This record gives sequence, C-alpha cells and structure tokens, in this order.
Amino acid sequence: MNFTEALSSAVLPFVLFSVAVCVLVTDRRTFDSFLSGAGDGIKTAAGLLPSLCALVVAVEMLFASGFAEFAADSLSGVLSHLGIPSEIVPLLITRPVSGSASTAAYTELLDVFGPDSPAALAASVIMGSSDTVIYVVSVYFSSVGITKTRHALPAAFATMLFCILFSCFICRRFF
Amino acid sequence: MLGKCFGAMIFISFVFALLTGNMSALSGAILDGASKAVTLSISLSGIMCLWGGVMSALTAAGITDAMSRLLRPVLRLAFPNAFRSGVAVGEITACVGANLLGLGNAATPLAVAAMKKMREASLTASATDDMVTLTVLGTSSFNLFPSTIIALRRAAGSADPYSVIVPIWITSALCCVFSVTLCRILASLSHIRRRQKR
Repeated sequence: MNFTEALSSAVLPFVLFSVAVCVLVTDRRTFDSFLSGAGDGIKTAAGLLPSLCALVVAVEMLFASGFAEFAADSLSGVLSHLGIPSEIVPLLITRPVSGSASTAAYTELLDVFGPDSPAALAASVIMGSSDTVIYVVSVYFSSVGITKTRHALPAAFATMLFCILFSCFICRRFF
Repeated sequence: MLGKCFGAMIFISFVFALLTGNMSALSGAILDGASKAVTLSISLSGIMCLWGGVMSALTAAGITDAMSRLLRPVLRLAFPNAFRSGVAVGEITACVGANLLGLGNAATPLAVAAMKKMREASLTASATDDMVTLTVLGTSSFNLFPSTIIALRRAAGSADPYSVIVPIWITSALCCVFSVTLCRILASLSHIRRRQKR
C-alpha cells in the first residue's frame, strides 16, 4: 500500500505545482482568474450556510432522537448480507436527495464513529464517487422542459446502488 | 425537495424522541447542530476558495480544454448520436471534462447548454438516448480530487485524511463505466421494443 499512500499525498501538491507552472509561463491573466475563481469559491461556501444550518440541525436531531440508531439496527440484517455497514444508513437516505443533507449526515458519521472507522471510510468513498441523483436528474431535464425521462432514473439509481456496494467492497479490501 | 427532506427528518426525530423519552438530548442537539453548521461551513470555505481558484487558473491556462479533448475518443462511444450529427459535441465534452475535475458548479450550466442543443435537434418530446446518458453520467461523475471530503476528514482529526483518494478514484471510474454501459444497454433494449411494437 506504500505506492498508493505516496500517490494520494502527492495529488494536491502536484495540482498546485501545475498551477504554479501555469502562472509562471503564461501571462498575468492566469493568476487573475485564480483570484476570481477563489472569490467564487468563497461565495459558494458562504451560500452553503443557510441550507447547512437547516440540515445539520435536522440530521443532529435524527441522531439524538435515537432514530438513526433504530433505523441502522432494523436494517443491519439486510445490509450486513450485502457488506454495507449499517451505521451509514442516514447517509444512504440523504445522498440521492441533497448535497447539504448528505454532507451533514457524513460529518455526523465522522464525528460519531471517528474518521478512520470502517463506517466512516465507506461513507467517504460513497460521498466521493456518487452524486445527488434526484437533484441532478431534475435540474438537467427541467432545464429543457422534458418530463418523459425514460430510463434516466432507473439507470441513475442502479448506478448509485452499484456505487454503494462497490465502495463497501473496496473499503474491506483496502483498509 | 430540500424542504420536504428537512421537514421529514425533524418530524420523525420529534415523534421518535417523544416515544423513547429522548427529548432532552433532542433539545441539546438542536443547539449543537446550529453551531456545528457554522463550524462546518468555515472549515469548508478555505478549501473551496483555494480549489475554485486552482480550477479557474487551470481553465484559463487551457488545461481543462486539453483534458476534454483527450476524452473525445471515449465519449464517441458513450454519445454515438451526438458525435454522428455533431450536435452539442463541444458542450458534452466540456461538461464531462468539468465533471472529471470535480467542478460540479461549472458542469451544471454546461450540461444545461448541452441538453438545450440536443433538445432543439430532437424530434420527440421525450428524452433522447444521449440526454439520458449525459444525465446519468452526471450523477456518477469521476472525481480527481475530492477536496470537500479531504477537508472534512482532516477537520475531524483523521490520522490519514488522504487514504480514501485511491479507493474513490477506482470506485468513481467504475461507476462511470457502469452508468454509460447500462445506459447504452437500456437504450438499445428500448429501441428493440419499439421496433417490435410496429
């Protein structure tokens, strides 16, 4: 695993190195677009706060009321057969619907079980390789006014299921 | 959608806490949650700011375009109709390129532009094969650097926040292959069925 470790820790420095090279060899517009992109980034982050505020509270309540644990316990039989840690149920429910809600559920998992626990590792891979299915499908198709989406939703959910199962599988192999 | 999600979670929590007597924990969780949301968006804002800058610098230097061009031969297989007619090819490549770099915010407007072009060229009121493929691929985008996840893992005190990068690469790449293959299979199945009806 030493090679993958070296590779993972080199990604971010390498990306910044390539930005540095771009800034050095091109004209000053490259750095100007860096600054304007960074400004957009901070706007996005600030724009997240209202919905995060609502959804982190809701997810926190779900955990404190004991419902998250109850749902995990009652589904653990089915999920353990599929190799899915039952602790990640709140993430599985929120992931297709909303980015903020799943970020809230994900942070709660990191907090409750620890960032290097098997559940949190599986959750990290799921967060990194799936997207908000329902949101994406509705934005893409409503932009052109199409309601007959044919096999879009079934295929998107099948992909999501594949993603969840494979994430858990790869985490068992990897860690 | 978000409102319903919020409403349902709080409704369930309240009823459940009422039944199990967890009301005092619930009350504490509300206050904790509100302040956690602020900490969360602050710990994310640094990396989002930096990453936004990095990506627009790379786009300005032409790196994003170069990556999109590299994708063309692969995309030809995923979007056969678009490439045959030449409609929306530029938008599709740019959108997939942006998704590849984890530029979700930039990918959405590009995807909408691609959808509009394909819509103008299509003769039916229902989605075309390529529209479906673009959408499903958008829900399973490859992620070159999962900046948010790394930032959150680091903030939570992980011993090795980067450890998930390689598993994420493998999983998201496979998900892309899976989604495109599935879309192609389902598309040809639906054409076969339509032909049989006639």
